[in-house]
Amino acid sequence: MNLLARVSEESHGDLTVVAVDGEVDASNASELGGRLRAALTNRSMALVVDLSATTYLDSAGINLMFALAADLGERQQRLLLVVPPAAPIARAIAITGLDATVPTHPDRQAAVAAAR
Amino acid sequence: MDTGHGLRADRRSLEALQRLTDTALAHLSEGDLLTELLLRVTEILGTDTAAILLLDADRDVLRARAAKGIEEEVEQGVEVPVGAGFAGRVMADRRAIAIEDVDHADIFNPILREKGIRSLLGVPLVARRRPLGVLHVGSLTRRSFSAAEADLLQVAADRAALAIEHAELFDRERAARTRLEALQRITDAALAYLPEQQLLTTLLDRISAVMGTDTAAILLLDHRRDVLRARAAKGIEEEVEQEVEIPVGAGFAGRVVADRRAIAIEDVDHADIFNPILREKGIRSLLGVPLLVEGRPIGVLHVGSLTQRRFSAAERDLLQLAGDRAALAIDHALLFEQRRLAEMLQRRLLPKDVDRVGGLEIAGRYLPASGETLGGDWYDVFGLSRDRVVLAVGDVVGHGIEAAAIMAQVRTALRAYASDGRPAPEVVERVNRMMWDLGPRAMTTLAYAVLDLEHESLELVNAGHPPPLVVPAAGEASFLPLQGNVALGTTALARYTSSVHPFPAGTAVVLYTDGLVEVRGRSIDEGLERLRGVAREVTGVDALCVQLVTRLLGEQRADDVAIIAARGARAPERLSAGWPANRESLVAVRRQLRRWLLACGADQDEVYDIMVATQEACANAVEHAYRPGRNTFDVEADCERRRVRVVVRDHGRWRPPRGTNRGRGVLLMSELMDSVDIRHTELGTEVILERTLAKAVA
Repeated sequence: MNLLARVSEESHGDLTVVAVDGEVDASNASELGGRLRAALTNRSMALVVDLSATTYLDSAGINLMFALAADLGERQQRLLLVVPPAAPIARAIAITGLDATVPTHPDRQAAVAAAR
Repeated sequence: MDTGHGLRADRRSLEALQRLTDTALAHLSEGDLLTELLLRVTEILGTDTAAILLLDADRDVLRARAAKGIEEEVEQGVEVPVGAGFAGRVMADRRAIAIEDVDHADIFNPILREKGIRSLLGVPLVARRRPLGVLHVGSLTRRSFSAAEADLLQVAADRAALAIEHAELFDRERAARTRLEALQRITDAALAYLPEQQLLTTLLDRISAVMGTDTAAILLLDHRRDVLRARAAKGIEEEVEQEVEIPVGAGFAGRVVADRRAIAIEDVDHADIFNPILREKGIRSLLGVPLLVEGRPIGVLHVGSLTQRRFSAAERDLLQLAGDRAALAIDHALLFEQRRLAEMLQRRLLPKDVDRVGGLEIAGRYLPASGETLGGDWYDVFGLSRDRVVLAVGDVVGHGIEAAAIMAQVRTALRAYASDGRPAPEVVERVNRMMWDLGPRAMTTLAYAVLDLEHESLELVNAGHPPPLVVPAAGEASFLPLQGNVALGTTALARYTSSVHPFPAGTAVVLYTDGLVEVRGRSIDEGLERLRGVAREVTGVDALCVQLVTRLLGEQRADDVAIIAARGARAPERLSAGWPANRESLVAVRRQLRRWLLACGADQDEVYDIMVATQEACANAVEHAYRPGRNTFDVEADCERRRVRVVVRDHGRWRPPRGTNRGRGVLLMSELMDSVDIRHTELGTEVILERTLAKAVA
């Protein structure tokens, strides 16, 4: 990833949680997409993308999440998002309807519980 | 005078000399050569016995190496102290000694007496002036040895000495080779890649294999409680499991660490051994070395043998080498852990995105020290109110995790007391009292500055810290005068004073820690002058930080460094800039726009929304607007009576939106802004975004 964002992965059996720390824009969205897809294995049932520490997310990142959800759906895998309701990125996510398409939870615990 | 007898004697001597210096002897092994020499010596001199005793320099004794007629001497391993008895005196005096009647002489060796030897002649074995031992011959009948016979014996001794020296050289070479192999196994670079515990276990395995010991253990020092505790063990694993503690100074390991020197115990029965496990295991002999890091003891490495054994100086050196290797690994592991924790602390505590406080242009840097030293430097910046911003830089005395922890407390306390709205000197006094309660290790220097943007002033409390530098928009940079305040944590009752200085828009202030100006090999005055020089040449605060770091600091930093610089800037009325049409421009546009919006009085949510909307317009310009040849776009912004207007202009024509993805950018723009106007002209595409802020700049 370029310096805008850092990605950290955690695996809980058939569940993978990836946290995105920093900013996502058109300059790093496709790279982030590669990282998120690489985090998945055939054993993965679900992918939780934790955006709690994401300080910037515009349509480049939002489009990525829509595309990722569609890809995962075709593989019988689920995508879940973590977006704190008060985060600045929550407004753009709500405007584009991402949270209505992809299950979105206020914290990681809730997302992991829902994924099981 | 009987010349015939003299000639015969000369001739016999010559023959004898030839027999003793026979070059054929050189082809024999050392043992065979010595035996053959002794045989020839007894034949030539007509004696009943002959023996060679060699010096053990470590213990200053002579031990029989080869013998004829008194073979028991070799078999029984008789030892004669240098200086004592007959052979001992030959050795000590390094001269031939003849004893006509042993009954009247001081003879140390009982075998000589038991054998019934009456007369003795001994000469020193010397090779290249180095005494190696003694060669002596004995007669069962009383006899007076002549000077010529002594000379002849000396020739035999010289020949023997040469052979012994050759053999010794060969042995030493072989020993050196073995030692080198042992060293290589112990200093094996590959060990460095093992995790600490595994490294220690492997090292103990290897050291016991190399030295042929039954046990090996590493004990580490607990400085707080002044005890040693087993960290890894081989053969005495119970020591680790049972968490045996050994007080520093007590017993074997306790003394090794207290005296910081190697200690060998040949027989534990006669020694003060604190650890019951060593006794229970039946360990007879022990050798221990201190684990030292830069001369500071961190523990003990010891090996033990179940049979009695005397460890040599070479073995002691080898163990010390293994100890040094282990100490390094342990120290690295500890430091790595400390460093990881301290860096985590630093990372969490350093303010993020410092460029967005008030209408100030702010930049900060924290650089850890090179190598393994951890520091307690920090900087902080936070707003007290709309117009008042605090800049702080501090330096906790000392290093390591403790310094980092104190730094965290001081920093938090400073924020807490400052946000209570107290005057600056009182904030610092309160932090000082808290520091005093933390104990004597908590001494900290601090520069605490409150910038008042409305009144264009700077109030400083300097607690024993290097003076902040003020750089006016025009004119010479100068250091703020020192105030005579003591460092925090020096005394509970310290009173702190502040001074107030003008801080007009366009002025910059730089707070820093001593690591920036205390460069090894240069004076502090020189460092301060260099700082002033760099500040004079650079305008932007971020650029200033970059310049200070690259020009004042070398690759190797002995200390950590914290810098915070701020420039009071009035919000520019207009923002206007051209950007290269690539994705990497997006983040730069964001940063610039955010600063400008904050200066206009936008709140965080407004800043974010306008930033996203503008980015969508810029992204469209970057992604879709270009025909080959043109490669820039412009961003202009102005703010009039709370109405922010952003224009993004490119030089191409947008392709019609394709698919739902493309539509989201436009959707975001129109939802996040009050109005969005997209105009396609002959020259390109222009997006005009407008939004009214909730409140305007005062």
